[in-house]
Amino acid sequence: MRALVVDDSKAMRMLLGRQLRQLGFEVGEAGDGLQALEVLRAESQWSVVLVDWNMPRMDGLSFVQEVRGEPDWAGIQLMMVTTETETDQVVRALEAGANEYLMKPFVGGALAEKLALLGVLAA
Amino acid sequence: MSLDNDLEEVVHEFLVESYENLDQLDRDLIELERDPKSAERLGSVFRTIHTIKGTCGFLGFERLEGVAHVGESLLSRLRDGRLLLDADITSGLLAMVDAVRIMLARIESEGNDGEDHYPSLCARLEALQEEVAASARPAPHEAESMMETGSPREETPFSTEEEMSEIETTGVATPAAPLPVATERTFSEELEEGRREGADPEVRSSGGVAESTIRVDVHLLDRLMNLVGELVLSRNQVLQHTQQRSEAGLAATAQRLNLITTELQEGVMKTRMQPIGGVWGRFPRVVRDLAVTCGKQVDIELDGRDTELDRSIIEAIKDPLTHVVRNSIDHGIEGPAERLAAGKSATGRLRMRAFHEGGQVNIEISDDGRGIDPEKLRERAVARGLLTHEQASRLNDREAIQLIFLAGFSTAEKVSNVSGRGVGMDVVKTNVERIGGMVDVQSTVGAGTTLRMKIPLTLAIIPALLVTTAGDRFAIPQGSLLELVRLESDVAKRAVETIRGTRVYRLRGELLPLVDLKHMLRIPQESDTGSEAVNIVVLQADGRRFGLIVDAINDTEEIVVKPLGKSLKALSSYAGATIMGDGRVALILDVLGLGQEVGLVGRSHDQGVGAQARTPGEAGEAGSGDEAKATDAILVVGVGETGRLGLSLSAVDRLEEFPAERIEISGGQEVVQYRNDLLPLKRLADLLGNSLRASSDGEGAGVLQVVVCSRDGESVGLVVDRILDIVEENIELRRRLSQPGLLGSVVLQGKVTDLVDVGTLMDDLASDTPTRVAA
Amino acid sequence: MARQYATYYLGDEYFGVEVKQVQEVLRYQEMTRVPLSSPVIRGLINLRGQIVLAVDLRRRLGLPDRPEGTLPMNVVLQTDDGAVSLLVDRIGDVITVADEDFELPPENLRGVSREIVRGVFKLDGALLLVVDPARVLDFERRAETLAA
Repeated sequence: MRALVVDDSKAMRMLLGRQLRQLGFEVGEAGDGLQALEVLRAESQWSVVLVDWNMPRMDGLSFVQEVRGEPDWAGIQLMMVTTETETDQVVRALEAGANEYLMKPFVGGALAEKLALLGVLAA
Repeated sequence: MSLDNDLEEVVHEFLVESYENLDQLDRDLIELERDPKSAERLGSVFRTIHTIKGTCGFLGFERLEGVAHVGESLLSRLRDGRLLLDADITSGLLAMVDAVRIMLARIESEGNDGEDHYPSLCARLEALQEEVAASARPAPHEAESMMETGSPREETPFSTEEEMSEIETTGVATPAAPLPVATERTFSEELEEGRREGADPEVRSSGGVAESTIRVDVHLLDRLMNLVGELVLSRNQVLQHTQQRSEAGLAATAQRLNLITTELQEGVMKTRMQPIGGVWGRFPRVVRDLAVTCGKQVDIELDGRDTELDRSIIEAIKDPLTHVVRNSIDHGIEGPAERLAAGKSATGRLRMRAFHEGGQVNIEISDDGRGIDPEKLRERAVARGLLTHEQASRLNDREAIQLIFLAGFSTAEKVSNVSGRGVGMDVVKTNVERIGGMVDVQSTVGAGTTLRMKIPLTLAIIPALLVTTAGDRFAIPQGSLLELVRLESDVAKRAVETIRGTRVYRLRGELLPLVDLKHMLRIPQESDTGSEAVNIVVLQADGRRFGLIVDAINDTEEIVVKPLGKSLKALSSYAGATIMGDGRVALILDVLGLGQEVGLVGRSHDQGVGAQARTPGEAGEAGSGDEAKATDAILVVGVGETGRLGLSLSAVDRLEEFPAERIEISGGQEVVQYRNDLLPLKRLADLLGNSLRASSDGEGAGVLQVVVCSRDGESVGLVVDRILDIVEENIELRRRLSQPGLLGSVVLQGKVTDLVDVGTLMDDLASDTPTRVAA
Repeated sequence: MARQYATYYLGDEYFGVEVKQVQEVLRYQEMTRVPLSSPVIRGLINLRGQIVLAVDLRRRLGLPDRPEGTLPMNVVLQTDDGAVSLLVDRIGDVITVADEDFELPPENLRGVSREIVRGVFKLDGALLLVVDPARVLDFERRAETLAA
């Protein structure tokens, strides 16, 4: 399984990447929405994309909209990564086509749980 | 908290990016003080703190998270327009940023965020949001109407999360526009756009753009730069070969290669370019803090912060810039009372301006302070013994102001908290000149001071003049080149005069000291006929001019500067090497180093503003007099067990070591092969008589310590046992010696030292009658 | 353990340097002299765009210069200070030697040689002197240019 982490903070990407690898994922990274789109175009077979909300150039919401506008990518699961101060954003992300959301900071099994919900992780 | 290796990496990255973001945040906060409603900047500040807080949650830095959390709440109110930024809030936020920095530093050094919860800071930040919340002006209505009319949105505080997020993401002031969609643009267009955005201070301040550019390992950039350098060389070679053939097809291809290479070179050089704003960004904060410390009010204005420079150059000018700014606030700008009394506004202005001009970057730092009084500088220069009273009085005001660049001028001044630290303007000058730049200062008493730096764009590929001397080619960076003069042989005989051993040429009425590159580099003179034309390259280093005589002046070319290895770094005459179109290596001359080498340019003290101001007629005489004094240093060597001899350093060329096996005998004289010539050796122990001779043949005889002295192209190697020291003292002969080859005895460092008469030794050598002084 | 050494000659003396330190071996290359530098430095070579310092190993060892008209060969080494070429008389084979044949330099080895020769391999009918590249380059301590 391949997971793409989209976040402008490299520290966050490293943190998420680390947890995903422990769960057996092959992990890719992108620093913002535009870069993530490049990655999706260049390489196929991404199972899930974890997207930060606040990003320069192209933020998480626009990224979700972009991905959902491309039929080839319909199979990709999108997970919004937000914080508790951004609850209304979650709603908007889900409306735009995100499949799940994850609140920062997530602890313990939260990430695995959500991934299992998406069906990209064998429980 | 202990960290495993894996997490350590994450923490490292967290620190790097947090520091970067905080630098941006400082700038934003200062800007916001001026324009409290700037939505972009508020968004940027918010995001930085937000990200720090979010990451802390994962890393277990609870105290940092706590402080960031309170800051974030305050910022979210500001961002949403529920609160208007004022000086109190700015100070509060700056205090928070300081606390965050302290905790980050602690994380860096100890791996944890410390014990301090910063309760009073948190209380202060909380109070700030409560207190002003009531009085804040809610403006949803205003915002709506603004949107309808499409007025610039910066003027409007925002009320809803939705608008805010758009601003953050687009960073463009078009409220109703959809989010940018990039599907139709090529990747390279994206990149180009990214670069442009990165260079635009307005958009940059939205916080994201610095992050949206791709991070590239500096080493990769350097490697690319090297490869492009190679390509430029190959291109030059191809072009050279092409010129010798006449195939139309080849010529066209070569031409195309030429164009592509140039374009690629420019492109890669651009990737190394950074806007100067990166360095400038910290000045608003520096200025604010300094002004507070000094009890002054200072507004800073930054102009042209998108002006780009090579990253290596930005690194090099950071400190000089800071120093100049500190100086301006500390010494330039007056306190409010003094300013008001002088009929100025209470708040001083500091302006930093950067712009491109003629392939160089100009940086100006000007203040509207009290200016520099040339009369005071003259007095101080005399008081410090840097100039004689007469020399000082001959300086015009403009020249006198340049005195601040003299070593030992500003450093000994009253050391204040601010610009103290023992760094003078001479260091600023040296640092800027080291990278091929120039500094100049102008000042009007009562009105202010402007300091100007001219700096090359890049160091890696430079235009250079190629010259030939003794069959070798050398490259001279064009930055130090003033003009070229060619004197036909008959003219040269008249026009080149000799004043006390220094050759000079009267260039438009001014005396230009001349040095022969061959002589400077001690390349053995082949057959100097003296009847040929003289080619003079007029150079400027450290504000002084001199003429370099070369055999031939070839061409100008873009050259790729390659550093010299450690083994050659000590040679100050070279700035590096480059590869020519024919594939051979050419050395790049370091004009400043050459100037210092021949004593035409001051090393530190005698930077010779005085000499500049002298009238032409006496320049030569006064100049050589000064130099004799300045270089009146003595090389102290040891001979035998106790013998101490002194040699005037001005007679000494170099210190060498030769394996004893290399000594050969030629015409009864010990010699070694040295620089394609035979170097006659003289054992200084002989001068002192037999008693001391014996021990010098003992230990250490495998390697000879040799002091090479030269005069008129003739050299002699003086064999000593030890190099002891170099001392600069006013010497006084205590005892004249009858011993040939010795001048007399002096006391140096409390010990009797015999001074060697190098001149006599060389005379003897020249007349080919070796002295037999051993008794 | 066995190691590979690139070998070369200065006169009849047989030298070697570990193969992994050698970038390449070249015939004579044109050089640009560096005025004011140590006599040990013969010049700079352009090796495919890389600037290589050429050190005359004869001079470094205090041996007489090679006769006029004889061109040296280059043994180009990778060092911390970039690529450096040792100018030698002749190139020998790459040989494999065993660690147990290694000995410290003999007592009778003369001054400079002793300084830069790390040790000796006793081979059948020959002694292979192992030169330490770092020590070869450490000749500038005293030779810095003085104020003229």
